[in-house]
Amino acid sequence: MSIKLEYVLFGFGILFCLAGVGYLAAEYVKNLSEVGKLISLLLTVAMFAFLSKYFEDIGW
Amino acid sequence: MSTKRRNLYLYLTLACFFGIIAIFIVDGYMGVYDTVYITAGEREQKIESDVWQRGDKFWSTGITRGEKAFCRYEVDNRRFSTYEAEIDVSIWRMQQKIDEILSQQIAVDPFDKEVLEWVIDTTELIPPDAPPEQGFDFTLRIKKDELERNIILYINPSPYPVKPVPAAPR
Repeated sequence: MSIKLEYVLFGFGILFCLAGVGYLAAEYVKNLSEVGKLISLLLTVAMFAFLSKYFEDIGW
Repeated sequence: MSTKRRNLYLYLTLACFFGIIAIFIVDGYMGVYDTVYITAGEREQKIESDVWQRGDKFWSTGITRGEKAFCRYEVDNRRFSTYEAEIDVSIWRMQQKIDEILSQQIAVDPFDKEVLEWVIDTTELIPPDAPPEQGFDFTLRIKKDELERNIILYINPSPYPVKPVPAAPR
């Protein structure tokens, strides 16, 4: 029972972290130039693609 | 071989992440920034370009009647090319141009600054027959090509002169 509660708390922590990072990123993106936004988007896509490949390789 | 490839994916992920951070920093630094400095009443106010980028269309400053305000307009070119612009500075009141302060073409070299200076004399702006207890609002309009920077100049009324108290009869 206590393990489940820990997982819920971890879940909340991760959610708040993601929300905070997302909010900060959105605030920064507002001040970026159009070229900067495009390159950031491409790098974000590439980052998630490489991360997915990494997780795939370790067997997730 | 598989471990090496796996690590390569991880390094590429990290490289992309740091690339995004680098773009945030570099893109935030690069650009053309204009800053207005107004010194009135021995106090200097600095109005940075992000004030207007935040959406505040007006900024206000106060000048004591009869005194002068010393203004400095700095254009900071943080780009790899020369920045050229036409700068027009004027004073407005009730949608009417009261005074044209300067109109100048500037060319700022890459990663260099250009500074324009002028003085606003309140005695020249206020009508001479205006009562001393009346305050006035003017708009200092700085036009840089398409961009307009508006600063409200509030000219404070004169403080009441101290009346000498007559000496009591003995």
